[in-house]
Amino acid sequence: MDNLKLNETPIRTSRNFNINNIKLENIKIPDTINKFNNIAITGNSSLISNNTSNIKLTYGIEEELINQIKEHSNIELKINCFEHEQMQVDFNFDENNPTLLENIEIIANESSKSTIILKYKSQDDLEYWHNGLIRVNAKKNSEINIILVNLLNMKSNNFMSIENNIEENAKIKYTIIDFGGRNSITNYYCNIIGENSNNTINTIYLGKENQLFDLNYIGELRGKKSNIDIEVQGALTDKAKKHFKGTINFKKGCKKATGNENESCMLLSDTAKSLALPMLLCSEEDVEGNHSSSAGKIGEKELFYIMSRGFKLKEAMKLMVRAKFNKILENIDNEELKEEIIYEIDKRLD
Amino acid sequence: MKETLIEIKDLCVKAEEKEILKGINLNINKGEIHVIMGPNGSGKTTTANAILNNPAYTKTKGTINFEGTDITNSKTDEIARKGVFMSFQLPEEIPGVSVTNFLKYAKNKVTGEPVKIFKFKQELKGYMEELNMNSNNMERSLNVGFSGGEKKKNEILQMLVLNPKLAILDETDSGLDVDAIKTVSKGIEMFKNNDNAILIITHNTKILHSLKVDYVHVLVNGKIVKTGGQELANEIEANGYERYKHKA
Amino acid sequence: MGKTNIDEINRNIYDIKNKDEYEFKIKKGLTPDIIKEISIQKNDPEWMKDFRLKALEVYNKLELPTWGPNLSELNMEEIATYVRPKTKLNNSWEDVPEDIKSTFDKLGIPEAEKTSLAGVGAQYDSEVVYHSMKEELIKQGVIYTDMETAVKEYPDLVQKHFMKCVPIYDHKFVALHGAVWSGGSFVYVPKGVKVDIPLQSYFRLNSPESGQFEHTLIIVDEGASLHFIEGCSAPKYNKVNLHAGCVELYVKDNAYLRYSTIENWSKNMLNLNTKKAIVGKNAKMEWVSGSFGSKISMLYPMSILNGEGSKTEFTGISFAGKGQNLDNGFKVIHNAKNTSSLVNAKSISKNGGKCTYRSLVRIEENAKNSKSSVSCESLMLDDISISDTIPVNDIKTDEVEFSHEAKIGKISDKTIFYLMSRGLSEEDAKAMIVRGFAYPISKELPIEYAVEMNNLINLELEGAIG
Repeated sequence: MDNLKLNETPIRTSRNFNINNIKLENIKIPDTINKFNNIAITGNSSLISNNTSNIKLTYGIEEELINQIKEHSNIELKINCFEHEQMQVDFNFDENNPTLLENIEIIANESSKSTIILKYKSQDDLEYWHNGLIRVNAKKNSEINIILVNLLNMKSNNFMSIENNIEENAKIKYTIIDFGGRNSITNYYCNIIGENSNNTINTIYLGKENQLFDLNYIGELRGKKSNIDIEVQGALTDKAKKHFKGTINFKKGCKKATGNENESCMLLSDTAKSLALPMLLCSEEDVEGNHSSSAGKIGEKELFYIMSRGFKLKEAMKLMVRAKFNKILENIDNEELKEEIIYEIDKRLD
Repeated sequence: MKETLIEIKDLCVKAEEKEILKGINLNINKGEIHVIMGPNGSGKTTTANAILNNPAYTKTKGTINFEGTDITNSKTDEIARKGVFMSFQLPEEIPGVSVTNFLKYAKNKVTGEPVKIFKFKQELKGYMEELNMNSNNMERSLNVGFSGGEKKKNEILQMLVLNPKLAILDETDSGLDVDAIKTVSKGIEMFKNNDNAILIITHNTKILHSLKVDYVHVLVNGKIVKTGGQELANEIEANGYERYKHKA
Repeated sequence: MGKTNIDEINRNIYDIKNKDEYEFKIKKGLTPDIIKEISIQKNDPEWMKDFRLKALEVYNKLELPTWGPNLSELNMEEIATYVRPKTKLNNSWEDVPEDIKSTFDKLGIPEAEKTSLAGVGAQYDSEVVYHSMKEELIKQGVIYTDMETAVKEYPDLVQKHFMKCVPIYDHKFVALHGAVWSGGSFVYVPKGVKVDIPLQSYFRLNSPESGQFEHTLIIVDEGASLHFIEGCSAPKYNKVNLHAGCVELYVKDNAYLRYSTIENWSKNMLNLNTKKAIVGKNAKMEWVSGSFGSKISMLYPMSILNGEGSKTEFTGISFAGKGQNLDNGFKVIHNAKNTSSLVNAKSISKNGGKCTYRSLVRIEENAKNSKSSVSCESLMLDDISISDTIPVNDIKTDEVEFSHEAKIGKISDKTIFYLMSRGLSEEDAKAMIVRGFAYPISKELPIEYAVEMNNLINLELEGAIG
């Protein structure tokens, strides 16, 4: 059993605020790592190789976890996107595939325009371990759309480190569906370095029972006229807890850059907890930064309205949560996947 | 012999690396009302901004003389203090600065004389009544939370208070209902005399129904393609700009 | 040794340096013997001496904060923690020595006392040199005196409240304060008494390489109300001075307190101040704060909403110029039902200055039906300055309405052009926009202070813009 201290924020604040990092106690880090075989890839598999580059990260979730990937990764995927690629990789956890340490590297080559879906799912209730790394490099004029779907069960541990680099006129767009795991910890870093480069992150999370979410998103704007938009929508019930740490850092030289961060948490029980630290750091004058954060329960008037149309309280709540998530779900083109996510929302809120 | 107020010669202007004005010539004498009409994107607003030397616009050629002084490269506030006023299409909002304080301060800068607060407030109140403005607006932050119509009237109020020699009204009539246009026209009439002049910039002709104008210039694609009297405005109202577009 | 000498614009009246004349200046540094000596000099009762020594122990155990501005240039070995001016406490300005009186004259204190204040306290270095209050308030039972007098004359009230709201364990500089505190004001407003005109205490640190550690303790009893103003300034020296004051406010049930501060310490000052209020049932605590001076400031006033239906508001502005690192903010704990907080924080950074807004909103599980609304706005006046916003929002229950908004940016070129087209020079236009930006704060201040704040803004903008 180990204790982990992870997901440090780029800037510390008072220790009493309990947000500089997160401590996980009695975590069982698996030491025998077997192959992960239950993986399904749809799309053009000729784009995939396993010669990923050396791992050097700016942030990363935590040293020990990153080292685990470096030394023991059981999936190596390098995806080279050239034109308009559509690809989906499904990682299915089961009794024979309980541990996934994947090292994914995505290169969006110049002027390519692709969508990659990465889905992590468990069918049963065993304790699984997922510790993944995704690195994305978007070259000039490329567009890459990444959809991450975490549908693990409530007993597993889910760790995700993501690092991105965006060149001139390129775009990286993330849609993150974060539902699963006893602990779901995400470290996201983006170097928005090219002129006119653009990063969009849309996240929804849904927490119940004793789930803990710790999202640490860091965007550094360096390119002129670069842009980042972070939108995080979530709902928490039972004793679920969420920490959202979002940092937009306007670095010197990012003239005319813009950054927006919007975080909103629906509290569905009086024991759910929402902790947020939406940071704006700025060392450049000619920029525009905004953030907003809100928390509270579902509006009683809206609930009443829906219930007056014959819905039970629980159904009405589900409807409201779905409505809130809908804007972000619209980013997913794949109808089948969208249906699956909506089904999971309903199931998890039952 | 009429006295020349402003003389624009062969003015070429770029904005964001795009050439917008391609050689404008315009003379306005004291006592005259001029109108520049033209379709969207023809360079109307650029003309107004160039006269006041907005640093977002670059003059690549030509000169502007105001009462015989070259103001082509003068600073905006110097041009304003010489007596040029521009009513903005989209007036800026200034939180924390009340209409009264702002105008008092601007009046002091333009006239170079101290402003007597009691007399000034009376004057302000008088104008606001004429313009059907709510006198509560005097203490509100400048343009903050004002409706489109209130903002436009506020621009006319500023014109009356600052009493410039040349008033440039950029799309002052756009987005206003009939009553508001009447009020604005009334303000213009109150302002107008033989020693000053007005340059109205518009893409429609509504405001010209209630004002008598001396010259109408048609601006298409950065050039004045035709100049005439009020009848030209009527003609454009009937037929639009189509027949002028090929000329540019 | 100060690390850098900061170029400074003329701060005229604030910068008047009097000769470093004093009756007693303690040795530099911090040892139990020095603390005992302070205690003897101040003629402390036994409990206070023990308290100081205990606080010193805690100080030695606690670490420097691991976050925020770098405090490494602070060397307590080089700071004299107690400097007694060459005069006793007076209740007539006539009796205050001429050079000290003239400083307060130029700061406008005696004049304000005549026109707009119900009482005044004036501290010079470590001791209060003047204290006075209008007769009718004395008759109503209002107590307004220096802290030393309070310790002796109102021992029960003081012992019950002194460093109970801000315990010495809070952080290192609170512990330091507990060990070396001197001066400050004590206010007690009895039940139901409404003090309509503000009281003001002014703190002036004249002595170089010294610290000011005044303690302000205010108790507004049930249903009473008070507006208290705190002002502070110091002339500039090349070596660091330290200010580690402590403000403890008790706003009892149904009471009202407004605490206004115009802080204009010189730019060699490390301002590590602690302010906290405990707010009772249906009571209201308002903070108004203008932070202009100091080289480093770490100041996060805090409201603890312990009573049902209690409310707090924070309205504040920080203005950081060259060489300044102002790490300010606000903390609120919602600890009872139906509580509410409203925050309006602004900052301006120019000429390489750094402003940080650091905050905490915590809504505890028992604080059902509470509301909190936070708005932060930061203005960058050039591209060599820094502005950071670090707000922590900790919501532990569902029946709340919480919202937080922040904006960062510069003065828009369009707005400057608009104002210049009305005849204002670029400098005037920017100054007008900045004053407008600060208006929500200046309008909360009594008129004299609003004027002072606008003057400070103009002073700060001079030479910075263009």
